[in-house]
Amino acid sequence: MVKYVRQLQFLLFLLPILAIYSLFTIYPLIKSFFLSFTNFDGYTEAYDFIGLKNYVRIFSDDAITSAISYTLFFTFGKALLVTLLAIPLAMILDQKFLTRNIHRAIFFFPSIPSGLLLAYIWGFILAPIGSGVLNSVLSELFNIGPQPWLSAPLLAKLSTIVVATWAITGWHAVLYLAFLQSIPKDYYEAASIDGANRLQQIRFITFPLLAPAMTVSVMLLLTGGLKVFEIPFALTKGGPGYETYSITQVIVLRGISETQYGLASAMSIVFFLIVLAIAIFQVTVMQRREQGIQ
Amino acid sequence: MKKTSLLLLITLLCLSVVLAACGKNSNTGNKGNTGNEGTANNAEKGNDAPKPVKLSILAWNNEKEMKPVIDGFKEKYPHISFDFQFAPPVKDYIAKLQTMLLSNTAPDIFIIAAENRNEIIDGGYALDLTDEPFMSVMLDSNKPMLSKDGRTYAFTQSGWAGGLFYNKQLFQKAGITKLPETWDEFIQDCLKLKEAGIIPLYDRMHDITIIHSAMFGSNVLTKDPTFDEKLFKGEATFAEGWTEVLTMWKEGLIDNKILTPDMIGLTGDQVMNEFSLGNVAMFPGGPWNIATIEKTNPDIEFEIMPIPGKEPGNKYYNGAPGVGFAVNSKTKNKEEALLFLEYMTTQEGLKQFEEGTGGIITAHGYESKVHPAYAPAYNDGLMAGKIYLPMVSWDRHQEALRNQFLVSIQDIAVNKITPEQATASLDKKLKEMENK
Repeated sequence: MVKYVRQLQFLLFLLPILAIYSLFTIYPLIKSFFLSFTNFDGYTEAYDFIGLKNYVRIFSDDAITSAISYTLFFTFGKALLVTLLAIPLAMILDQKFLTRNIHRAIFFFPSIPSGLLLAYIWGFILAPIGSGVLNSVLSELFNIGPQPWLSAPLLAKLSTIVVATWAITGWHAVLYLAFLQSIPKDYYEAASIDGANRLQQIRFITFPLLAPAMTVSVMLLLTGGLKVFEIPFALTKGGPGYETYSITQVIVLRGISETQYGLASAMSIVFFLIVLAIAIFQVTVMQRREQGIQ
Repeated sequence: MKKTSLLLLITLLCLSVVLAACGKNSNTGNKGNTGNEGTANNAEKGNDAPKPVKLSILAWNNEKEMKPVIDGFKEKYPHISFDFQFAPPVKDYIAKLQTMLLSNTAPDIFIIAAENRNEIIDGGYALDLTDEPFMSVMLDSNKPMLSKDGRTYAFTQSGWAGGLFYNKQLFQKAGITKLPETWDEFIQDCLKLKEAGIIPLYDRMHDITIIHSAMFGSNVLTKDPTFDEKLFKGEATFAEGWTEVLTMWKEGLIDNKILTPDMIGLTGDQVMNEFSLGNVAMFPGGPWNIATIEKTNPDIEFEIMPIPGKEPGNKYYNGAPGVGFAVNSKTKNKEEALLFLEYMTTQEGLKQFEEGTGGIITAHGYESKVHPAYAPAYNDGLMAGKIYLPMVSWDRHQEALRNQFLVSIQDIAVNKITPEQATASLDKKLKEMENK
């Protein structure tokens, strides 16, 4: 009885936040699901049920098929680049040197301003004309003519990935740094007594013990990457053509600009399921890897 | 057990605070409305000392731009004050107004633009202003954008035209002595500039550009002014109207490398800056660019020119009526809101609006002063009705078609699709939107 009452107390404390969560998260989600079967246009309250028509339309929409392929390319490209850069960066920042704290701050800084702002600044750097910062540097140093950083399909895709990686690597390095610092120094001492060199220490101690950090970091990178909007939008507006349209941009475009809320709702439901599936798959696989290592 | 009841009490308190916060909004909303109702009734009764009324207004001109006209009005009607709200055009404004309309919190006066006119008028959100006496000030050519079935739902006092700004010094340097009369001459001039080592033209290809709109005017509308009407009645197709225009554009500008796909990544400011600095001979722009160009480079000699058509003599600008001020059909302050609109149609109101916004007034009985560089667009374009903007002329689904158009021209520019494929995709989009 006492145990039951205690549990009830906890539940009571959860009530307010549960109410808020339901109001602002669960309810819109259900409403969105409901609207995805209608032709609601966002203006008039009168709308009809049209069954699965919206869901059928998604897959004949050029924009969404192009957006799915770009978003996946962006997400995995960024996740790979960030992971490859953040771990070595974290290891360097973990060393003892004089300007260590300043360096940590410098690398962390790009993740603070909004993506939109960063992308606008990068827009000046990557400006495709001869007077663009990067192009003038390239032409001064290597005599290379202006490159269409943001308007050739492949270059535009790569540019968005590079800018996004630049912005977030420091943040993930700090995440890895926190895990690095929790690795007991004794392991390294023991290993060096046994004659292990630095590379072997990294391979057999640091890397396996960083596995939980990698699970978290990669999950954040994947879910964040799939939800990307600001950086490609501010850099290229989705162009040229549909080449750098992200899934979220198509949802905003169809929903708000074109007043097809029903269709946009159906898109977000499908998108939600894709993110959910990828996140569950990734976490399960990487947790299994963690257990395997440990 | 005592502990439990204490916890219960705290939880209940938390909950009641949350609920009270939720309830508060609707209460204040009601209070505000009833307050306004009272004052409106008093005003109707014609009391000597009218009770103060607060008019809410949502505009996409900011407060500084609207200040002269609002101050002038307040001087005349001291009992009316304003709750001024601003949202930047276009997407932010439309999204904000849409939310307000759906949640019944829309202001007394708001703006109707080409992008949301169908939704606002069809939804019955705007008051029918057709029979208001002050509407006689509005130019007839400004009315269609803000009308449906012959009834007009908003008042606009302004209009704009855009064209190609050209640098007179650079034209001289390339040996161009007179402005092109036909599209071919225009392309020849661009090539002459190129030969002289001057970049002829920058265009961002970010929208249905000024060049495309004007080309459609000078090539299609000169032959058939009712083309868009037919298009939306199903009697014409995009393929019939736009394929030739897009082919001329591609063969003239893209194939000759006068416009290159790398320009897609430019921003409007970059383009204007390059022109001001004399690095490019032409760029598509409008009246809003003039002040900045002169500020950046006071020595520049420049003027605006139209886009010529295939046949000589057919020249068009891109342009449209300005956005219109509408009265919320559910307003509690109808009389005061109409008073404000009426004030805006007076000579005094028009002058203040011109001063504040820098817009070009196109109203009966008012002569707008325009910059000499802009005079051709004002006289031969705006006042002569030689302006065209698809988003205003298209009857339905403007945003969906506009997005499809934008994507298509970028795909043409990078040689991914042909003009025929582009117009086919527009026809497909229109069909899809009609059957949604």
